[in-house]
Amino acid sequence: MDKLTFIGGLPSWGLILIALGTFALLVYQFVGLREHLSLRQSALLVSLRGSVYALLILFLTHPVFVEERVTQLRRPLVLLLDTSESMGFPASQQANGGKSRIEILKEKLLGGNDPLIQRLARDYDLRLYQFNTTLQPVGLESVGDLTAHGKGTRLLEALGQVGRDSPSTAGIILLSDGIANGTQSLETFSSLPIPVFTVSIGEVKGFTDLRIANLRVPEFAFRGREIKMDFTIEAYGLEGKEVPLYFTRGRNLISTRSITIDRDPFKEQISLTYTPKEIGPHSFSLKLPSQAGEQITQNNQKDFKIDVQRDKIRVLSLSGSPSWNYRFLRLALKQDPFIDLISFVFLRTPTDAVDVPENQLSLIPFPIDEILQELENFDLIIFDNFSHRSYFNATYLEKIRDFVQEGGGFAMLGGIRSFDSGGYFDSPLNGLLAVELDGKGGYQMNTNLHTSLASAGKAHPVTRIFPDPRANEEAWKQIPSLTTFNRVVGPKGEVLLWAARDNASRGWPLLTVKKFGKGRTLALLSDDLWRWNFIAVGEQESSQVHQRLIRQAVRWLTQESLFEQVQIISMEGSKSPGEQVEFLVRVLKDDFTPAPQGAIQLRVTGPDGEQIPLEVVPSTTEGEYTAVFTPTQEGTYELAAEGELSGKNLGKNKKNFVVSFSHAEIEDGRPRVDLLTRIAEISQGYSIPVSQWSDKSWREIITKLKSRSPSEIVERRENPLWSSPWILALILLLLGFEWWQRRSWGLI
Amino acid sequence: MNRRKFLRTLSYGLLVANGISPKGLHASHPREKDRSVQFVFAQVKYRGGDWNPRPLSIGPFMEELMRRTSIEASTSRHAVSLTDPNLFSYPFLYISGKYEFDPFSAEEIAVLRRFLYYGGSLLADDALGQPGYGFDKSLRREMKKVFPEKEFKRIPSSHAAMRSYYLLKRIGGRRMISPYLEGIAVGNTTPLIYCHNDLGGAWERDQLGSWVYPCTPGGEQQRKDAFHVGINLILYAMTGNYKEDLIHAPFIRKRLQR
Repeated sequence: MDKLTFIGGLPSWGLILIALGTFALLVYQFVGLREHLSLRQSALLVSLRGSVYALLILFLTHPVFVEERVTQLRRPLVLLLDTSESMGFPASQQANGGKSRIEILKEKLLGGNDPLIQRLARDYDLRLYQFNTTLQPVGLESVGDLTAHGKGTRLLEALGQVGRDSPSTAGIILLSDGIANGTQSLETFSSLPIPVFTVSIGEVKGFTDLRIANLRVPEFAFRGREIKMDFTIEAYGLEGKEVPLYFTRGRNLISTRSITIDRDPFKEQISLTYTPKEIGPHSFSLKLPSQAGEQITQNNQKDFKIDVQRDKIRVLSLSGSPSWNYRFLRLALKQDPFIDLISFVFLRTPTDAVDVPENQLSLIPFPIDEILQELENFDLIIFDNFSHRSYFNATYLEKIRDFVQEGGGFAMLGGIRSFDSGGYFDSPLNGLLAVELDGKGGYQMNTNLHTSLASAGKAHPVTRIFPDPRANEEAWKQIPSLTTFNRVVGPKGEVLLWAARDNASRGWPLLTVKKFGKGRTLALLSDDLWRWNFIAVGEQESSQVHQRLIRQAVRWLTQESLFEQVQIISMEGSKSPGEQVEFLVRVLKDDFTPAPQGAIQLRVTGPDGEQIPLEVVPSTTEGEYTAVFTPTQEGTYELAAEGELSGKNLGKNKKNFVVSFSHAEIEDGRPRVDLLTRIAEISQGYSIPVSQWSDKSWREIITKLKSRSPSEIVERRENPLWSSPWILALILLLLGFEWWQRRSWGLI
Repeated sequence: MNRRKFLRTLSYGLLVANGISPKGLHASHPREKDRSVQFVFAQVKYRGGDWNPRPLSIGPFMEELMRRTSIEASTSRHAVSLTDPNLFSYPFLYISGKYEFDPFSAEEIAVLRRFLYYGGSLLADDALGQPGYGFDKSLRREMKKVFPEKEFKRIPSSHAAMRSYYLLKRIGGRRMISPYLEGIAVGNTTPLIYCHNDLGGAWERDQLGSWVYPCTPGGEQQRKDAFHVGINLILYAMTGNYKEDLIHAPFIRKRLQR
């Protein structure tokens, strides 16, 4: 409705003066008219004029009609609904009958004849969001379908984003258990632009939980070296209990420990150790049995994997007798800090006479059975001038053959007890030897043989003693001569070194290598190699050729990654689901020069066994290739690389990597009422537990919001009186009537 | 001439008359022919003194070595000087004597140092048995040049050389001058080992097979101990610290406790 208002103009005393003046004028006019007209006529004319004067004086007060229109605002209201995994935990131990937090949340919003959410949608500009690791809008109709599925809770990040995107008149209602595990901290919020009213779901009082937390284990460990695992045991509401802690590997119980919970809350740091005996991935579990009344049991167990690698290459060598070859072989291996040598030297044959009781000899029985049981713990077996005849039967040799087939390394070094001379022609090892035997080959001595590098040996990692090819060839030319060697039919593998008599055009294979199944073998057909060391020293040359040959042969036989033609160099990336991992792989040809494009295949196998081929892209470095992969779930993945060139397999390599969320959503299920309270404080909202939520709470929120900003807009329009045509018409009418009366009465 | 020397000379004469060379008794040993010889006994020849006081000791010792161990050895001794170009073909050297000998040249010192530092072994055997005199005096003088910063030290009973084949509790020899061996260590090996008790004198047998010298005061047990020492030292040279490998420790410990 319009209201008449006088908005200014002359001051009051001015108006009074004018009014008085006008009155005086009217009296004067009345007196003048009375001379000609009757009282009635004079009064009429003065009234008419007086009305006009009154209207004009009225205009001096600047009268306006104020039109006020009140528009009720639909205040923006943001509802933030926590749908992280922790919202699937029970809200409390008590009255709610085991309902989860998200069920309570939905109940509060959707319960009753006139659900709160409908009311809010009616009265407000309601914006619904669900948040966990991301913030996503939600339709009204979808609230009932919300689940606690998010792997993390970026609560503060969601709050920050909503706060930035909302107008200052908005309010935020946050329904959550307060567990926040994003990267942002509350300290970054010195204030929030709009009030946040937090509804905490989940009770701290009566919260019962036992969990394993802060587990710190190495990603990889070394065989034979102790691994230390640190973690914390936390307990709430379980004071007085004694719980067992189980540490297992697969189905095997490694150890158990009793934990006495002597206070509430309880926290104790625990360290466990384990010494792995095998190489490869080891899966462990730490487990605490569920306790009565415990609200969350998922955090009672921690499963983890440690990749056990060898820190040292374990070499088993069997020598048929003491020899200078053994002496210098042992020297080369023992001086290598990455090689662990277990050697047995047969100091005596069965036919050697004993002149003292056994207890005066340092000879030990040869533990053949124990060795064969422990075969998988070795990486390489060396038969050094060792004949199997007296000590090994066919079964034992078959085990060694299988060992190599499954990936182990094997080397046979020459001597009178090796190759044909050692009876290996008709043995199970014949197939894996890198030379061909016919049972007739012999052992030659007192000869003078020179060594030359075969073409395959020029770049092979076993015989590439110096990186520079010319220096390498030169070094091999200078090598002292040999006086013994084992004759064989010919090579079965690649010949790396030839031996020949002086000026002879034909030579014999001296060092050959071969792949057998998943393993590798080497044949070195002389027991005189020690001369390459000691004679070289005598000639004031270096013993490097011998030592490096031995060490490089060991590494190649045991498939050390740096000696492989296919190498997985790196895996870069955070290794969380949804985040890209970048792989870098190197491929080398047989001569160990970089392999060209098209030679590599990469494949990832996921935790569920699905195999995903990857697209390989050459990197800027020749011979190196990259590929990317985005894991979608947590678990252990395997990257397999295989190289091929012109139909020939260059080799394979594999590496595991673990993908996991960094959020650790279900680690600690304790509601964080303190965080929600703090958020409400700094935003000038307030916090209320969901158990106390009612219509009264809602009204208080509205009041608070209104106090910050009005909920209606008043639209005000001013219409000056003189802009109205009716007033002008009235004035003209009055003046016209007065003129007509004056005329009719003969005054004009 | 005493009776022993007379009988020896007569024996030699009879053998030669029958066309048998005394040396041939050893050189034509049936095991020598077409054998793969892994060990050759090399003896150092030096100037002055008496480098070969026990010429007939090596054959019997090598036979004993082959009888007791899996090593195939040459029964002939090879004599080498320290400047011999083939010196490093013999990673094990034996040096013995009774009297003082001429100092080694600088070249010989350098060669010997290189020999011992890079994997070679030297057994020194005093045939005189008088500490501070004769061979002992010269040996210590020369070894001081080879190892200026080192001293001879007693080799303990736990040393790998004392356990390389026999578990030695005694050191034998022709005479019991010292109950222990001495040595100079390089790193974790002992390339130079010194026996004061004249091992060669205990090993030596004449062509008729009789022991040339009695062993005093321990008699034949002492001689046996001398062979054991020699075998142990050769096995130590050829296997290094093999007997210090952990795999042997429990067995050795148990046997030593008996």
